[in-house]
Amino acid sequence: MKELLVQHIDVFLVIVYLLSIFTFGLLFRKLVESTEDYFLAGRALSWWVIGMSIIGTNIGAYDYIGAAGGAYRFGIAQANYEWLGAIPAMIVSALIIVPYYWKNKVYTVPEFLGKRYKESVRVIEAVIYGVFLVMLLGIFFWASGIMLHTYLGWSIGMSIVVTAVVVGVYTISGGLAAVAITDVVQLGIMFVGGFAVAAVGFIKAGGIAPFFAALRATHPQHLKIFLPLDNPAYPWLGMILGLGLVLSPAWWCANQSIIQRALGARSEWDAKAGMMFAAFPKTLIPILVVLPGFFALKFAPPGAITNPDQALPWVVKNFLPPGLGGLVFVAFIAALHSSVDSTLNSAATLWTRDIYQKYIKKDASDKHYLVFGRILTFAFIVFGVAFAPFTEKFPGIYVAMQTLLSFFQGPTLATLLLGVLWWRSTGWGGLWGLVLGVISAVILSLFRVNFLYVAWWSFVISLGVNVFVSLLTPPEPPEKLRGLVYRYLEKDSEFKAAVERRING
Amino acid sequence: MGEFFKSIPLYWAKIIAGGLYVLLAIWVITRPREYIYRGAENKKKWRDLRLWAVFLIGIQIILYIIF
Repeated sequence: MKELLVQHIDVFLVIVYLLSIFTFGLLFRKLVESTEDYFLAGRALSWWVIGMSIIGTNIGAYDYIGAAGGAYRFGIAQANYEWLGAIPAMIVSALIIVPYYWKNKVYTVPEFLGKRYKESVRVIEAVIYGVFLVMLLGIFFWASGIMLHTYLGWSIGMSIVVTAVVVGVYTISGGLAAVAITDVVQLGIMFVGGFAVAAVGFIKAGGIAPFFAALRATHPQHLKIFLPLDNPAYPWLGMILGLGLVLSPAWWCANQSIIQRALGARSEWDAKAGMMFAAFPKTLIPILVVLPGFFALKFAPPGAITNPDQALPWVVKNFLPPGLGGLVFVAFIAALHSSVDSTLNSAATLWTRDIYQKYIKKDASDKHYLVFGRILTFAFIVFGVAFAPFTEKFPGIYVAMQTLLSFFQGPTLATLLLGVLWWRSTGWGGLWGLVLGVISAVILSLFRVNFLYVAWWSFVISLGVNVFVSLLTPPEPPEKLRGLVYRYLEKDSEFKAAVERRING
Repeated sequence: MGEFFKSIPLYWAKIIAGGLYVLLAIWVITRPREYIYRGAENKKKWRDLRLWAVFLIGIQIILYIIF
């Protein structure tokens, strides 16, 4: 009887969440009249919406499960992905990179790179990130189907369709504004669920201090933020060089679904402040993802958890009081939905702006591109739903896509940083730096080098090639670089005055 | 090369990370005020993003000292 009641409460919570987010998202449909409204929320987003939406997009259900498993196995070192592997890069992105994107009024990161270097750089970046985002949708839909099926008993097919309808309708009708605002709500739910788990855990342990004292006594290594070089997953040097200096800046400076919110800011200050504000909830994310791993470590009986990724599901199923499990489950769903809607919108933006508008139909009306963007979003939903079951048959697809993307992270960052900071970097330098950087990453991976070091060395090689080729080729004319490079923005009084005038209306 | 890095005591990882945070804080503090406030509705103190950044970095340094 009690189990039946719990199940009813959980189903009720999930249905209330789905209906609420569906209705709430639909409220934004009247705001969309142009591509700027659809892809960039009419450039009207304020800093706190941008910040919360960025973190909602950043944290997916996979992160919950994988990070809790990482904490269960390796301890607090997992938090490096939220701290050293995020906060410094977010500050740098907010103060250096985001203002350049925003001032140039671009829609996508590849569009900026195309302006700065060559169209071929734009195409390479757009295709790789475009394909990655679309494939990711299938994986997200499958994960959503599995979660609803496991927890509520719905069939996987029905679960996927429900997710696609709820997220798809508000994303297609309301565009980025609907995506960003629903992200805010979803992040709120995630934090309520996460803090509730933390509270229950600490109460069961007799308080925060006794909990950590007991953990330190039984698992001292789990409270060390850096692990020795021979650790297979988190060697300290790899965490600092690969994660801290390359992968993290690449993610926070060049990831379309992250950056797109800042591009929709109502002012340059809101764009910068949005990215900076996102760092505050990001600092707290370990409470949501690391603590459950610790609770599983302390409270799960021996043999109950055979795979670290079972740590979080064990906590939800065995540890939480009736009703709270449902709330945490809703938090998972919210995390997944906030990633799905952002991925959908960003994929549609990339393919519409960088491929369709640039190479297929150049001079159509804005209305045409708006309709095309919506049709494309719908097509991606259909593809994601159809592709979802294959991700189960080929579990290596997710790993393969992640690996493929990791080849581009270091070279993309090198290309972006030199493009913004060094006026002498040329179109050919950018192109060869990107291509040879990616090739070097592939070669290093073939030798089974840890991916953190692959990121670092492909970044260094890309940087070196870019500098070398740039010095061998003629410099770009100042007219091309105005507004795109530090030298021609901060130190060019004429352009600076023009930007000031534009900002001040 | 690998042996050299293996010989470095683990606490040096914290020192390096702490050093990076301090360098970042210095860089942030030296950003021009005009650049930080550009596009802001007004120039109230709470809108100074340098303060936000320094606060964030301070929290990070404390966390890395604790763990």
